[in-house]
Amino acid sequence: MPWILLLLLAFPAAGQPSYSLHTCVVNAKNWVVGAKLAGSGLVRLDPAGEWEQLGFVHPMILAADYDRRDPSVLYLAGGNGLIRATDGGRKWRITTGWDVTELRDVTVDPNTPGAVYFSHTAGIHKSSDGGDTWKPADSGIKEKYCESLQADRARAGRVMAGCVNGIHLTEDGGATWRRTGAEGIQVRRVVQSPHQPNEWLAGTQLAGLLRSTDGGLTWEAAGDVSVERNLYDIAYDPTTPGRIALAGWSIGVMVTEDGGKTWERRGVGLPRWDTWSVAFDPSRPGRLYASVHEEAIYVSPDAGKNWTKAGLDGSFIYRLRFFPEVAR
Amino acid sequence: MTALLLAFLLAPPPEFPERVREVITYHARPASLETASYGAIAAKLALKEDPEWCSRRLIEILKAGPSGDMFWMFPVTAVAYLDNGQLTAEARRALRDSWRTYMPFRGDTENHWLLYYTTLYLMTQKYPNEPGEAWFNGKSSAENFRESEEWIKWWVDMTTRRGQGEYDCTHYIGVYLLPMSYLAAWADDPVMRKRATMMLDYLIADYAAEQLDGIYVGSHARTDDRQVVEKWAGVSSDFGWLLFGLGFHTPGYGGYPLYYALASAYEPPEILKRIATRRPDGVLHKETKRTRHRWRFHEEMNGDVYKTTYLRDAYAVGSDQGGLLQPVQQHSWDITWKTPDPRGVHNTLFTLHPYSGLLELQAYFTFPPDSATEVVYRSKKSYDSPDKLLGGSPYEQIFQDRDAVVVLYDIAPGARFPHINGFFSKDLSLIVEDPSGWIFARGGDAWIAYRPLAPYTWKPIEGGGKRLFSPHLKNGAVVQAAAVSEFPALEQFRAAITKLPIEFRLEPTPSVRFRSLRGAEMNVTYGAPRDFSSWKLFDGPFLQAERGSRKLELRHGGLRRVLDFATLTVEESGNRE
Repeated sequence: MPWILLLLLAFPAAGQPSYSLHTCVVNAKNWVVGAKLAGSGLVRLDPAGEWEQLGFVHPMILAADYDRRDPSVLYLAGGNGLIRATDGGRKWRITTGWDVTELRDVTVDPNTPGAVYFSHTAGIHKSSDGGDTWKPADSGIKEKYCESLQADRARAGRVMAGCVNGIHLTEDGGATWRRTGAEGIQVRRVVQSPHQPNEWLAGTQLAGLLRSTDGGLTWEAAGDVSVERNLYDIAYDPTTPGRIALAGWSIGVMVTEDGGKTWERRGVGLPRWDTWSVAFDPSRPGRLYASVHEEAIYVSPDAGKNWTKAGLDGSFIYRLRFFPEVAR
Repeated sequence: MTALLLAFLLAPPPEFPERVREVITYHARPASLETASYGAIAAKLALKEDPEWCSRRLIEILKAGPSGDMFWMFPVTAVAYLDNGQLTAEARRALRDSWRTYMPFRGDTENHWLLYYTTLYLMTQKYPNEPGEAWFNGKSSAENFRESEEWIKWWVDMTTRRGQGEYDCTHYIGVYLLPMSYLAAWADDPVMRKRATMMLDYLIADYAAEQLDGIYVGSHARTDDRQVVEKWAGVSSDFGWLLFGLGFHTPGYGGYPLYYALASAYEPPEILKRIATRRPDGVLHKETKRTRHRWRFHEEMNGDVYKTTYLRDAYAVGSDQGGLLQPVQQHSWDITWKTPDPRGVHNTLFTLHPYSGLLELQAYFTFPPDSATEVVYRSKKSYDSPDKLLGGSPYEQIFQDRDAVVVLYDIAPGARFPHINGFFSKDLSLIVEDPSGWIFARGGDAWIAYRPLAPYTWKPIEGGGKRLFSPHLKNGAVVQAAAVSEFPALEQFRAAITKLPIEFRLEPTPSVRFRSLRGAEMNVTYGAPRDFSSWKLFDGPFLQAERGSRKLELRHGGLRRVLDFATLTVEESGNRE
């Protein structure tokens, strides 16, 4: 009875903060522009274990973040632009115009009220007023296609960008950027450790995993994990220091329990080894979600050792994120 | 029977207004009313027929749920503008509400955006002063209108300065003509109407100058697996027939001409008709176009495309400079010969390197690397096939002088498909492999001499014809076309060609020295610098435009028509005689 397991897993223990899983998903095999689209866009797994479509059905929502002052406000990186989604993601407004398209990532600076950044096909934009207005903010990045953005949770105005040619850092709120590593490498994801604010990891296209231990000022190869594969996502377990999961093509889910010294491929129960995103549940130690290419979303109660299907059959899920539950 | 066929082929086409009505009437009488879609509703509304059915059916379709993104937006907009009080209040409300409840994707190509912004412009014009809550994107009518207008102006400006991005498409020509037809008819702003009407002249002129009896010839930003060999089978032929009475329309007249006809039904001016239908035997036309947006791996987001097209009565030869100029559906060069009835005929010859790779897909798209090819394959089945006949290659360079072409390949070791394909049609009336090394062929009233530069074998093609397969990284061909009227017999053509001086080497770099049939000395080397600094936006006897000028001069005989997009004025001069 997998649904009973899911239901049990969905409710956190009493007293724990509550988070819900949000997925950026295209739920249609064989979809092309102009085709009929099933439930897609932003889909949330509610505490009762039901999937809820938030806002419009849409084929290209690639990333999401939330406003730390008001978690009912989400920012979505969409094909049509930046979407500010209020009411827990249900009510959408596109706040950008025709100058940007096919947004790649979005990040909220938790230490600078109103500061939001997104990357798009031709650069990075910043808002200082919670998404009402936007300005280009990518001076210093020569090749401007950036797949990933992550604001530093510890220091205001610091943002890391994973771009088509390396990792770039701004320390002045996007006014200037400089490349700090991965020259000549396409970077697909940059993620900051929730345990050590100076530790960052970057997943790349065919160059493995990179690590920085000085707040992104310098980078080096983090061993030889998946160097011939493309790494699409990185998840730190917020409840268990040292535990990290990787998603990528042909790797299933790679997990380390020792901060990256050793990695284990964990995929018992996964239908294929091609994964796009991974996320640990902040309120359930060891519970790990993974999106498997056009198969479904899978959940593991034991950090990836065993997996069961959790829904969204046939989906292509760009990103899994946990956001705080918001009372409606 | 033959006499009947001849009479049919030689019968004069109906006049433009009759053709317009023919298209609309056809769509207004669908085979089944139960399954009829927006096109039938729009056509019936235009003819003021059956408004009750229109309302009922519109509600049914919308209730089933909109889909199709910008390809949904344009028919629904036509229905909204052709309503004119015929639809019931309920149907009108359902239509209006769908623009609040369904969020179309804006898409990732220029034609997607033109459809999206044109229809958003018109719908917010129709429903002004409404708040963000009334529209799918949360923006007010005024905000949407302003944004749409800005982008449309940007596109017109960019196109008339640097050339169209999705240029000369056999299919997508429809989705450029259609939005301009909408704006020309339905924009309230007379300036926008004028701009759109001038762009219709511009786009139609671009097509008129490079077609052979309605068939779009030469290099295309986009075509498809069928149209690349059966040159007639595109929307461009529908427009050739609709606009100029040329050739044959496709079955059902295509979908796009319907919406063109329902909106402005803009009839091209006399000078465009003449450019399309009256020209001397031997016209050299050059133009500059623009690549699609390149998000990665290129310093410039839009590169230049340099096109050459040479048109004779019996055939046309066209090319771009080679390289990856567009993703997936690029067609870089060919010879197309005229045929009395081109339907089902593969009236073309060309070569290509079948490139497939991330250098292309990640430059032009945002795909992640591992699923990119798979996603492209869903709608473009041949993309990752070694046998394909469609697509550009970073390892191809093309040189053209009138009806002579030299195409060189220097394929990188490790390339996914290390060979070139040559398309030799089932409709060539002869193919002779001559001891001289030349291959002689005849298509219609055109001779073609093809000199392969590397060994090859023949492979059959599904659907007929044969593929020249040459598995050599350093490769190429020299091609010369001529008219049968110049050389009545093969032996005469053979004698003329084999006399032409030709030298080539493939190592270390492919290089050719060739004197063409027209006396041109073609001395070309793969990778050598090429000077395109004198290349204009349009440069031919009928179309003239400087780069960056936003001004296009049309010429034919004593007629002149100058489209000045800087001042949005049209100047005409000359007489019709």
